[in-house]
Amino acid sequence: MSCAGQNPMLGAARFRRDPDEVMRLARMGCSHPTRLSFLRQLLRRMRTEGWRFDRPVWDIDAQGVGRAVYRAIGPVRTYSLVAFAHDLPPEARSDRVIATAWDATFALYDGTPDADDLERLAANVPLQEAGRISSSELSLSRANRSVRLFDHVVDRLASGMQPDAAMLLETGYLMRTTAVYGSGKFGAADRAEVVDRPEMRAPFQAEMLSVWLTRAFTVDLVEHLARARGGERAVRLAPDLKRGLGVGNSTGLGMAPFLIRHPVLLNNWMLAREEALARVRAQDTVGDVERTGLQNALRDAQENARLWASAHPIQQTKLTELRSSLDQIMVHVAQGWDLSGPHPWNALWRWGQDNLPLEGQEALLAAMLEPHGALIDGLGDCMDADEGVHFPIDGAMRVADLRAILQAHYGWALDVDYTAREHCARFWYISEDKLEPRLGERFDEPGAERELPLDTGRQAAALGRALEGQPDDMAVAHLLLAQPEHRPALRRAQITARHPFAEIRENLIAADMLPIDLLRCKLAFFGATRFDPRSDRWVRISLFQGAPYPDNMGGGCA
Amino acid sequence: MMHDVSAMGHARTAPALHLSLSEIGALSLRAIRGAGRSWGEAEEGAEAACWLARAGLDWATALIGVLSIPINSPHCPLRAGMAITDFSDLPESASHCEQMLPDLHHPGFLLPFAARTAARSGQTLRLTSDGATAILVPGEAPALTGDINATGPLTVRLGPHRATETARSCWPRAHSGTIDSGQYATLTALMLCITVPSSAESLAGAGARGSDND
Repeated sequence: MSCAGQNPMLGAARFRRDPDEVMRLARMGCSHPTRLSFLRQLLRRMRTEGWRFDRPVWDIDAQGVGRAVYRAIGPVRTYSLVAFAHDLPPEARSDRVIATAWDATFALYDGTPDADDLERLAANVPLQEAGRISSSELSLSRANRSVRLFDHVVDRLASGMQPDAAMLLETGYLMRTTAVYGSGKFGAADRAEVVDRPEMRAPFQAEMLSVWLTRAFTVDLVEHLARARGGERAVRLAPDLKRGLGVGNSTGLGMAPFLIRHPVLLNNWMLAREEALARVRAQDTVGDVERTGLQNALRDAQENARLWASAHPIQQTKLTELRSSLDQIMVHVAQGWDLSGPHPWNALWRWGQDNLPLEGQEALLAAMLEPHGALIDGLGDCMDADEGVHFPIDGAMRVADLRAILQAHYGWALDVDYTAREHCARFWYISEDKLEPRLGERFDEPGAERELPLDTGRQAAALGRALEGQPDDMAVAHLLLAQPEHRPALRRAQITARHPFAEIRENLIAADMLPIDLLRCKLAFFGATRFDPRSDRWVRISLFQGAPYPDNMGGGCA
Repeated sequence: MMHDVSAMGHARTAPALHLSLSEIGALSLRAIRGAGRSWGEAEEGAEAACWLARAGLDWATALIGVLSIPINSPHCPLRAGMAITDFSDLPESASHCEQMLPDLHHPGFLLPFAARTAARSGQTLRLTSDGATAILVPGEAPALTGDINATGPLTVRLGPHRATETARSCWPRAHSGTIDSGQYATLTALMLCITVPSSAESLAGAGARGSDND
């Protein structure tokens, strides 16, 4: 949606960062969750609107097999997580790519399911991709136990003791989702069916709600198994330990092309965040509340960074930089920050740019947004996109104008020699086995002739060459008639002209391109923490760690 | 990548499957590319298939029919539709003067493109072919009379609709479309023409090597 008419701070525009600075993978790969992240938006709305929660079905046996239903009851509509708990042999849990069975499977139902709905879902949800759901469902997902931690927690609780806090911190979750499908996948409701609902307008709200309720299910399940095993001796999980648990998630390359295939959506995510930063930088003063809020946010970030572990060398370097940066920022905020200047928040930001690595700069961004809810939370309403509106090509655009767009927004792409190995080393493709995006090595692996059109820079450069010698005043419709192969690049260029944060300004087929940078950017917008790459192509993260549970939300349990 | 769609038989009596619009879009995009069309055509054709499904029309028959037409044929409604929308804002637009498209196959597949032209120009358009008529009011579902699903080739006329009284048509509430299992198999087979077997290296990078337990 357009939020231009709602902008209370037109003067903030001059504090906005340039897309050439923001839309680089090195910086996107340092993204941190902010209060505009999608799970934060969900939690804020549910708390503000006094949502209630209950668990009308809990039919799980002593082995942890059965079904449960969790309801989130909003002011107008109810959503229900339908959970199926399975008895999964350990050997079936060991491979995430070819998995066909999981410890638990879920669907988010639109309303309150009746007995027939539950039977229908029981016949399909456990099958995941091999089953079908309907437009009554908003998401389909599955999760596996963190075996070591799950068993440890059940054992301890069953014997009347709390689990080892260090073990809980180390893993951070009892279950990790391996896929959360929404938006029409496998027969689920299309996004268009629910986007008019205020609670679903922000991106991925159904998926976030599903994962948040899954988190409650994982704790209920360990406590249930502990009671079944320990009887009267069993105890419940201590609230502080419980709060520190999130839901893990394994995410791979399937997520990466999303940011490229949805340029308007990406623009709106980035623009909302950049506008938020600009509004904060434009403030004339620093109030006591905001200054304290900043320091609290920095302390939370320090604690998060202390607990954040990764075995991946790239991430280890980033974590070292992050911890060091946060220490520097704390010292500067306490001792060096000049609050008397005309735009003190801008001064803080500029100090960060001059003194911090990218990891520290982006962490500073998240901390600066944190105490400014009243100023920026409304931007959350601007993070969806009606992509269909921007699909048509403007065939009347003159060649001269298209050329100017390429010069203004694609300078990073136009002068690259895409015949050089290092600039075309990779190709994106759809895997035959999972129908998921993958990344191949062009000169070592077969299949490059079936490449996906994610080589945005190379396509833009080819379009630029096609414009050479064309009359300035010729309509681009004539170019497309003669050279239709440039259609995708031309559409992207026209979109980028209107949405300057739409295009990732990097060669996405280069030898040194890191897919995990794409993943971290997207996952930060989700609100994910503890980003932990397991290769350059897939990661583990945690969602909702430290967040409230349904019974902490104030609206109470129905 | 070339695929002879016309040779791919499918049983029209097979039971219907219900697909969400996003499934129709994803399947169509990949199938069109798998049939040897450009990515630009695949994007446009997928968008058109979703539009037809949303309007309650037989998108699958039309799409498979379009993919049976030789690539680069001047009688392809996908190619013709792209040109019509690209020229929407130019003097030669169908919103200004009637255009005649001879020997067009599956003229119904032209509807989404005509509708987009109507939306861009704000001008109601009329599409006629062999007794079938579609009135396309900007932003509204098509108002249809006659059999718009004819396979052709037919002469199609597309131009401004000047009548003051126009039948109005509402979009169906359902965001889904149907396809029979034979057609689904046809489009799936085309889709598989652009997939690549995962290499061992690719699988390992994606996380298949080693245990995922922790």
